[in-house]
Amino acid sequence: MQGARSHHSLTAVSRRKVLKASAAALSMAAFPLPAIAQSKPFSGVTLHAASFQHRFFTLLQGYIPEFEERTGMKVDLQLSAFPVYNQQANLELSSGGSAFDVVNVTFILAARWVAAGLLANLDEFTSDPNLTPPEWNPKDFVDGAQVPYRDAKGSTYGYSWEGGAMLMGLSRMDLMEKKGLKVPTTFAELQQVCAEINGTDNVSGLVSFQLHHWCLPPYVQGFGGNIFRNPPADIMPALNTPQAIQGLEYYANLLKNDAPRGVLTYTEDQARQSLLTGRSNIFIHSSAWVTPILLSPDSKVKDTSRVVRMPAGPVHDYPASNSQGLGIPKNAKNKKAAWEFIKWALSPEISLRLVKEHGHSSVCRRSVITSEEYRKLNTVNGQDLGAMYLEVLELPAKGDNYMAYRTVKEFPIVGDVINKAVEQTVTGQLTASAALAAAQEQAVANLRRAGSAL
Amino acid sequence: MIEAGRRSFNRIALAPSLVVLAAVAGLPALYLLVVSLTPFQLANPGSSSDFSAPLRNYALLPGDPRFINSLLVQARLSFWSVLLQVILGTGLALLLNVKSRMVEFARTFFLIPMVLPPIEVAVIWKLVYTPDISPLYYAASLLHVTLPALTSDVSFALWSIIIADTWEWLPFTFLMVLAALQTIPDEYAGAAKVDGANPVQIFLYVTLPFITPILIVSAMFRLIDSVKAFPLIFLLTQGGPGDVTEVTNYYAYLLAFDNNEIGYSGAVTVVMLLLVSAVSLGVLWMGRRREALA
Amino acid sequence: MSVRPSGQASVRRRIAVVLTLLILLLPFLWLLQMSFKTNDQILQFPPPLIFTPTLENYSALWHSAFSQSFVNSLLSASFSTLLALLFGVPGAYALSRWSGRGKGSLRFVILVTRMAPPIAFTIPFFLFYRWIGLLDTVTGLVLVYTSFNLPLVIWMMQPFFETVPASLEEAALVDGASARVIFTRIMLPMVTPGIAATAILCFLYAWNDFFFALILTRTAARTAPVAVVNFMNYEGWEWGKIAAGGSLVMAPVLVFSLAVRRYLVSGLTAGAVKG
Repeated sequence: MQGARSHHSLTAVSRRKVLKASAAALSMAAFPLPAIAQSKPFSGVTLHAASFQHRFFTLLQGYIPEFEERTGMKVDLQLSAFPVYNQQANLELSSGGSAFDVVNVTFILAARWVAAGLLANLDEFTSDPNLTPPEWNPKDFVDGAQVPYRDAKGSTYGYSWEGGAMLMGLSRMDLMEKKGLKVPTTFAELQQVCAEINGTDNVSGLVSFQLHHWCLPPYVQGFGGNIFRNPPADIMPALNTPQAIQGLEYYANLLKNDAPRGVLTYTEDQARQSLLTGRSNIFIHSSAWVTPILLSPDSKVKDTSRVVRMPAGPVHDYPASNSQGLGIPKNAKNKKAAWEFIKWALSPEISLRLVKEHGHSSVCRRSVITSEEYRKLNTVNGQDLGAMYLEVLELPAKGDNYMAYRTVKEFPIVGDVINKAVEQTVTGQLTASAALAAAQEQAVANLRRAGSAL
Repeated sequence: MIEAGRRSFNRIALAPSLVVLAAVAGLPALYLLVVSLTPFQLANPGSSSDFSAPLRNYALLPGDPRFINSLLVQARLSFWSVLLQVILGTGLALLLNVKSRMVEFARTFFLIPMVLPPIEVAVIWKLVYTPDISPLYYAASLLHVTLPALTSDVSFALWSIIIADTWEWLPFTFLMVLAALQTIPDEYAGAAKVDGANPVQIFLYVTLPFITPILIVSAMFRLIDSVKAFPLIFLLTQGGPGDVTEVTNYYAYLLAFDNNEIGYSGAVTVVMLLLVSAVSLGVLWMGRRREALA
Repeated sequence: MSVRPSGQASVRRRIAVVLTLLILLLPFLWLLQMSFKTNDQILQFPPPLIFTPTLENYSALWHSAFSQSFVNSLLSASFSTLLALLFGVPGAYALSRWSGRGKGSLRFVILVTRMAPPIAFTIPFFLFYRWIGLLDTVTGLVLVYTSFNLPLVIWMMQPFFETVPASLEEAALVDGASARVIFTRIMLPMVTPGIAATAILCFLYAWNDFFFALILTRTAARTAPVAVVNFMNYEGWEWGKIAAGGSLVMAPVLVFSLAVRRYLVSGLTAGAVKG
């Protein structure tokens, strides 16, 4: 009897083993995917990315499924309205939050975030050959576009996805030719052209938009002034110098006399609309907002448009240049995955695809901008837009970094004060010198209250 | 015995509410007070526990031209919108003070502006004030009148807010005054008419004395509420042009969420709360007086 | 004021009422008609008053993230109303029967809570929620709205309880009923209309909120009012969607408030004035 039982138990054990083995084999056969998925580097990871709504991200969303397929991670890209995104991201990062892994570093906040140490140092990722192949080439990004994302020591905290090179677009060359006007190259000529065109055929001489602290500095610097005394070393505001007053008077006169009604509250989009429909002649802003007069199917002025460098001031020729970038918050939970995403979104391949497949040209890789395809797509009516874009984008890195004022962490507070001063001057509440005197006082007081040592 | 049972039930019934109130209103208020004593700046670690100069924020307030300006703007906004709401609300109430089924039916539709989400009201008026798509500008252009862009014009920006705010809260005073009008016994007006009084005299000597307490109370409530003005300014003017529409509530918001100066913003908010509390006390006192006299 | 038989107003008055109503509601009606236009039609100048209406804005909305925000609004408003009633109604009853001191100061605290600008409470809420992980959750919104509707419930319901004659309670007590039974079987049924009106008012306040939702949510728990603002984006304002979204956001509010118009004034003045 005992022998029989032990025989039973032996067979029982081996039967169990066989059953187990076959069950395992069956499950493998029935569910092959998990085994394969485990080989994807980021399977199971959900990446939280956030930015404001922009064409770049809308187009990128079309490519994201390929990325998810390759890496196994799920990308949750949240896009919000511009002011809503900026406020939420700023609050999140300033309070040390970790809700986002990848954030858009809006240019108006870049200086603050970099200086306050709210972003992760990306050099750790680019210098590691296991994380970043050499072909990715961080140096391929146009230097001028990278300046806002570097700290004083030169470490990089963001990579730019959009370059803002200030160009001048003229939509009504027909009217200008009729009046015998040439394309203006100096401030004086610009004023003359705007005054002469304004009112002709219901067209405004110039259109602008509400971000005055972006539009005004080129004029201030053109007359020889600056926003701070000597950024980044000396951050005492320099708003009440004679040159600054001159710059404000000049710009305010343009807005007061030669711009559409309500221009003070115009958003960029409204300004572009005005240009595209030929209701305004001149718009001076980042190329992405100006080149649509030649490139966009919505443009009604394609044949009468020109895009050129903005006029030079009597002392300096400093067109503004900025960029938007992608960065990783200091306390992000999935930093490796975040870098993988940024690496992919800003790779030469994706940048070139955006240009080729969608005509989206404000990318920041020099190799893409100087490529044949880019040249072909962005030369319209004999105007090489790519070359101009690159020229202006590179300017701040060549010689005098005149955009330094924008990259100091004190800028947002001073920019706010500049906005008010422009509004007060254009609406006639104060003269330019009174407005700037008040602005200077306010800026110093606010900076001191926020803890800057002035 | 019964009393004890009742009292314990009452305590159990009231306790959760008190706990919630203490947690939700008491604690944040305490936090607000404490934080206003520090120079707390979100990006400055350590500033949240810096009590070295506790009254620093309050000392800076009188010397801050933007704060003083915000109080003046608030005063102008509150004065004009409350005045308009009371006058127009009364007019509307007088118009609708009839026993008519049709009018009573129409009455409900007059409430629409008041029950809309405030941000909705802001969107509606953004439409009205945007030259490109607004019927207002279209009508003006038909009449060959060039209207300035109201929300970016120094003289009109605050008025554009006042008008939008009045539109939104008109139904409130309308309802209050109407309710009061309906408590006036008909004989009073009838007797006055028999004595040969015309409608204006009836209004001045019969109606007005009756509804004056209600007018005052509605004005006070609207006054308190006007301090909370946010969505209109957020969407229409962002405090501009310059700072002609920057009320204290909006300034506190900018300080906290744009500059991340939590401590200073807290001090501004505390001042606002004191003002609100003062007017609220007035309301309660008036209410108790009326009850005592009634 | 008139010697006409009641039920009739003069023709002049009726016309005046209708005219005034139309003028007053003109901005609101303009938004409504805009929601049925395409973006091109909206930007046309002169604006076409006769056009073929389209539902494309509404259908675009329904298939976008907006429908989620609508659901978020619905959830946060409903649950916070339930919770506020759950705590507040018994609390109001207890307060109405309380003869102790401190009643006046409690009323003052409640009034100030309702009247204080939201910014007074948002920073601590934001930091606290961040700490315990309630940011961008419907639960977080429910808690905030409950806490601000609770004072409203107490204020609104207290007068209702006060109008119930004490003799009813006395009689039940003599019959040997416990306090709990008195509350549930006698008091509650008598104040049901008040509860209904208060519930709708709570729903309204939670639904209409903008500031708390703006600060305490990101995208997962975003509510409808904030979502409408999201259509004003960097590349251009989608007027059609804004108008359609706005109209949808208004709908529940309009329906409910018309149902409780009688109690609106009471609710808006936190009960200090009977409507």
